[in-house]
Amino acid sequence: MRQADALHRLAADLLEEARPGLTYMEVCGTHTMSIARYGLRQLLPEDVRLISGPGCPVCVTAMGDLDRVVALARLPEVTLATFGDLIRVPASRTSLAAERAAGADVRVVYSARDAVQLAADEPEREVVFAGIGFETTAPTIAASLLEARSRGVGNFSVLSLHKTMPLPLRALLDLGETPIDGFLLPGHVSVITGTGVYDFLARDYGVAGVVAGFEPDDILKALLRLVRQTRPAIENEYGRAVRPEGNLVAQRLLEQVFEPGDADWRGLGVIPGSGLALRSEFADRDAAMRFAVAVEPPLEPSGCRCGEVLRGVTDPAECALFGARCTPEDPVGACMVSSEGACAARYRYRGLDD
Amino acid sequence: MCLALPMRITALNGSLATIATEGLEQQCSLALLPEAGVGDYVLVHAGFAISVIDEDEANETLELLREISAFSDEEDAVSSGGRLEEPSGDDANAGGGDAAG
Repeated sequence: MRQADALHRLAADLLEEARPGLTYMEVCGTHTMSIARYGLRQLLPEDVRLISGPGCPVCVTAMGDLDRVVALARLPEVTLATFGDLIRVPASRTSLAAERAAGADVRVVYSARDAVQLAADEPEREVVFAGIGFETTAPTIAASLLEARSRGVGNFSVLSLHKTMPLPLRALLDLGETPIDGFLLPGHVSVITGTGVYDFLARDYGVAGVVAGFEPDDILKALLRLVRQTRPAIENEYGRAVRPEGNLVAQRLLEQVFEPGDADWRGLGVIPGSGLALRSEFADRDAAMRFAVAVEPPLEPSGCRCGEVLRGVTDPAECALFGARCTPEDPVGACMVSSEGACAARYRYRGLDD
Repeated sequence: MCLALPMRITALNGSLATIATEGLEQQCSLALLPEAGVGDYVLVHAGFAISVIDEDEANETLELLREISAFSDEEDAVSSGGRLEEPSGDDANAGGGDAAG
């Protein structure tokens, strides 16, 4: 109850201090979930609109990349290891779950380290890890790859589809399709990157940003900080976990293993430099180099507006498929599949999160 | 995907830490957080500690994250097990994937 009181007090402050017509975007799937779960939209004054952006790594993975993952999984010598939330995402013509049911060797792992162990345990298999995720996750893949190398586990490779967060924010602001007064910045990405990577938002675009934790009061406090800014700046509400300089060890590992590469974002297209490609020293660990696979041109599901949802242009409920032809049990698009997709969160907490 | 759970380090073994939450013990790597020590509360993401946090705040955070984690597992239609060393039932392919939530 004490927490509920605190939330209502924060909401009352927001009501009193918000000026009309403010739109803030969150760019982290765990924020999406927390906002929906705690019904925070219902606590906000009408003047403050909260929209979701490209913060769910599975959702922003382009169809062509999903098709490449599936093509690798189909190779008879390959064991495809992946985090669980990729399994049910529809690729153009199939999904990893469907391929697994049809006999492909697809394993869900909790950590990339588990995939290295899998490779060590089954030396006759080629274990390929499907590397999806932002700066939070990519260092764990870098460390696992180095571990495989130092342990002499030769049958472990990575298909790096990793992406970094700052550039899509720039892309969104350059597109200018929807007004964004400020960003709720991702807490666990920022644990790794620190807060300086977002300075360009305030400096170049005059857009505010606050790094936020995941408790409901974290999110309301961060919104209140956004509302109170008289000059756009980058602030840190999640100081208990995020240091301004970030995690320097993780940054060094990222730098050692990856270099900036182009990445294809669902909804935003190819953004140069927004991906993490394996450095040439790791070419022998690069599944893209190790296995030649041909993929057909990607097919997008008809009527799915996931790309617009990820740009914050379309609200999930505005999609004609939402809750009718597209539900978490029978999803059409990635935003309804991943538990932290904007459509899945809205559907699960419908009534609370409208 | 960027979900990270707060856990307490109970023992160290080289660059591996034993971590506990609610009586459940697991291992995580300290490759990204070599300065962490026994007794520290750390945020754990996909088998790696990524940041040291305050104990009180660790306990506050657990409730929400557990729920999100459970939801992810449910969405993946898998059990809460899923560590490679503990294949669940007859489907060793099914895994937790809970850090990927």
